[in-house]
Amino acid sequence: MNVEVQTETVAAEQTVTVAEAEKDIRPIALQVRDLDFYYGKSHALHDISLNFPERSVTSMIGPSGCGKSTLLRVLNRMYDLYPGQKATGEVIFDGQNILASGVDLNVLRSRIGMVFQKPTPFPMSIYDNIAFGIRLHERVSRSEMDGRVEDALRRVALWSEVQDRLSSSATAMSGGQQQRLCIARTIAVRPEVILLDEPTSALDPVSTARIEELLDELKTEFTIAIVTHNMQQAARCADQVAFFYMGKLIEVDSTARMFTNPREQQTQDYITGRFG
Amino acid sequence: MSRSLLRSDRSASLLWRRKLADRMATGLSWLAMLIVVCVLGSILWTLFKNGLAGLSVNLFTHSMAAPGQNGGLANAIMGSILQTGLAILLGTPAGLLTGIYLAEYGANSVLARTVRFVSDMLLSAPSILIGLFIYMVLVAPLGHFSGYAGSLALAILAMPIVVRTTEDMLYLVPVAMREAGIALGAPKWRVILFICLRAARGGILTGVLLAVARVAGETAPLLFTSLGNSEWSVDMDRPMASLPVAIYQYAGSAYQDWMQQAWTGALLVTLGVLVVNIVVRVGTRGGRT
Amino acid sequence: MEISARQPLPATKKNHPAGGVLVVLGAIIGVMAVGGWKAFAAFGPEFLISAVWNPVTQHFGAAAPVFGTIVSSALALVVAVPLAFGTAFWLAALAPPAAAAFIGMAVQLLAAVPSIIFGMWGFFVVVPLIAHYVQPTARHLFGHVPGLSALVAGAPFGTGLFTASLILAIMITPSITAVMRDVFVSMPTVLRESAYGLGATRWEVMRNVVLPWSRQGVIGAVVLGMGRAMGETMAVTFVIGDSNHIGWSLFAPANTIASLIALEFPESPAGSLKLASLMALGAILMAISFLTLWFSRWLLARGQKAAGG
Repeated sequence: MNVEVQTETVAAEQTVTVAEAEKDIRPIALQVRDLDFYYGKSHALHDISLNFPERSVTSMIGPSGCGKSTLLRVLNRMYDLYPGQKATGEVIFDGQNILASGVDLNVLRSRIGMVFQKPTPFPMSIYDNIAFGIRLHERVSRSEMDGRVEDALRRVALWSEVQDRLSSSATAMSGGQQQRLCIARTIAVRPEVILLDEPTSALDPVSTARIEELLDELKTEFTIAIVTHNMQQAARCADQVAFFYMGKLIEVDSTARMFTNPREQQTQDYITGRFG
Repeated sequence: MSRSLLRSDRSASLLWRRKLADRMATGLSWLAMLIVVCVLGSILWTLFKNGLAGLSVNLFTHSMAAPGQNGGLANAIMGSILQTGLAILLGTPAGLLTGIYLAEYGANSVLARTVRFVSDMLLSAPSILIGLFIYMVLVAPLGHFSGYAGSLALAILAMPIVVRTTEDMLYLVPVAMREAGIALGAPKWRVILFICLRAARGGILTGVLLAVARVAGETAPLLFTSLGNSEWSVDMDRPMASLPVAIYQYAGSAYQDWMQQAWTGALLVTLGVLVVNIVVRVGTRGGRT
Repeated sequence: MEISARQPLPATKKNHPAGGVLVVLGAIIGVMAVGGWKAFAAFGPEFLISAVWNPVTQHFGAAAPVFGTIVSSALALVVAVPLAFGTAFWLAALAPPAAAAFIGMAVQLLAAVPSIIFGMWGFFVVVPLIAHYVQPTARHLFGHVPGLSALVAGAPFGTGLFTASLILAIMITPSITAVMRDVFVSMPTVLRESAYGLGATRWEVMRNVVLPWSRQGVIGAVVLGMGRAMGETMAVTFVIGDSNHIGWSLFAPANTIASLIALEFPESPAGSLKLASLMALGAILMAISFLTLWFSRWLLARGQKAAGG
């Protein structure tokens, strides 16, 4: 009897742990291990280890210059464009270390897409902005392309707004529309991971809200890493939050725990607005 | 690397073709760069190879003379210095004032836009036409070629360069600096003269030096204005020799010693022009950092 | 040379007298036209279409030098534009920074070399190459191909249209390169990065994003280069061969307006019909140059409007 009760309690406890564990053993899309990053001689990231679980939003927060954007630019090797920038350590994606020298960057970037702080429509039509990325990586027929473009625009809720002027210049759209176009352009390539570098910092509140809603839908299909300055945004969108300070990863945890009960004093200070 | 990151739903042949196109384009780009560098190398090499041999004291102390008479280029060098110098003295104030007008007063008015357009036009107008123009208005009516005419032609070539750099440099002066001057109660002309021009003087000097380098090597406009002169002469009211015109005359000749002097003169002109350019560019780069 | 958009500053005075440059340009055109009036009056419209240039019979026409000017500039562009584009692409996207600074400097120095030096170098270095290698090879290859044989006909002097075009091309390449490089690197970094972020190669970024973005600047650079080629005197005079006739052969001696003026002027007494004809040619060259520059400006303005609206 006694034994039974005990067993039941254990079982109950176990269920909780399993529930928690289930959340944590979600497959890892990107795994950063012992990463150090240098801009020339300045050491920008110190020994970062961080997992990005599949189909969830990981938000990176921290004061300016803390290294969060730097980490994002390591994940698709954007830093490679600039001589003098160097990363050591490992980033495991699809079973491979993408920091290794033989990695095909064009392929890598087709699988890990990026959206920037400012909207970056290319100087071409709305249609061609979307089609450009697709054409790089796939041979598709004209009708298939039409479908892909429409699909991408629908997913960012832009289709109804622009379907009549697909051939007009993308630079003439509003800022919020442009940013959604850039997201559409990124997902049209069908990547597995999307990196967003403060995607709403140049937008008004209404456009920002639409992008945040969009992230919620996108995470059912993509792994998302987002850098943000905006604490509410991190709280609203993210499943997991990582706090950076002075090039170090101070703490990473589920969003709920991070904002209610952070382990580190620095995190507490930052999210309550005592500095940053 | 055990396996490629390429996903199975993506075409490997498409990737291969893209890479090939990239390789070809970048390869051709390297080739184009190498051709340009080789041309510069070839020009400098030719100049040094043919020009160095004729470099002597005699060249700087003797005036031009008939073939075999052991002449030099002293009068041509002097003529070039005098004509270029006067051209800069004439062209700089005119260019400076126009540049100030464009940047500080004219802005986007119809007149300013027209002046700017015309100045750009003069900047790329064929220099031979400037020479013909001076011939028509000065040389033909007065009935003789002169160093003054040559200087005037060169001044017209120098002016738009000064206009352009003055205007650009004045735009770079921070608005805050201007406003600080105005806020002190200084009239606009004083702000321009003592604050803006002072802040922009490095850049404007650059423009003047580039103008020197540009007009010092000009040949075509001088053919119709100062004509050339084989005697030593510092009288600017008479036909005057210049290095480029002397080179032109000698290079087309069949005499060994003239050819030699043409090459040496070419080496001198080119070195002078390039040294001014290098000094200006290295200097401005140092000033910015 | 410059095509940057200017920031409108508040103008305090509208009609400040600084029309010096205006007067100069108006005067140049006016004076040329007046100087050339005698030729226009003597030959009428035939002056423009006649290919005869005969000092003995006092019969002068503009067609041959105008033809030479246009053909040599067009050919020069055909060579210079790819060369300049390739070099600018290299400087903007491929070069290691230290090398880019060094080669960029070299390009600007090449742009500063006086044109008479290009002429001498062309005459003593390029002309023998053309005479001994290029034209014989071209004749060997195309001499018997119908349609092409006329292009390579003629004695191998080494001088002629082709050589002049080549020298002109080399002369205008650096300045076109410099402007192209400037517009390429002035493209916002984020735009370039987002193209790379989609997995584009360097060439794809250049062709699909950088080029469309900098279209106006590139066209402006090319047209300005063309303007410079058409008015160039000394570099052409040395290598064009001084002959006034219109023909198919690229290797035949020819003349441009500028080279003809430079070569014939010393033998044209003041007040002569020949001098008037040279002046008339000068007016034509001025008109062509003016149209070219005006055209480039128009293209730029249109491009800016399209980008902004």
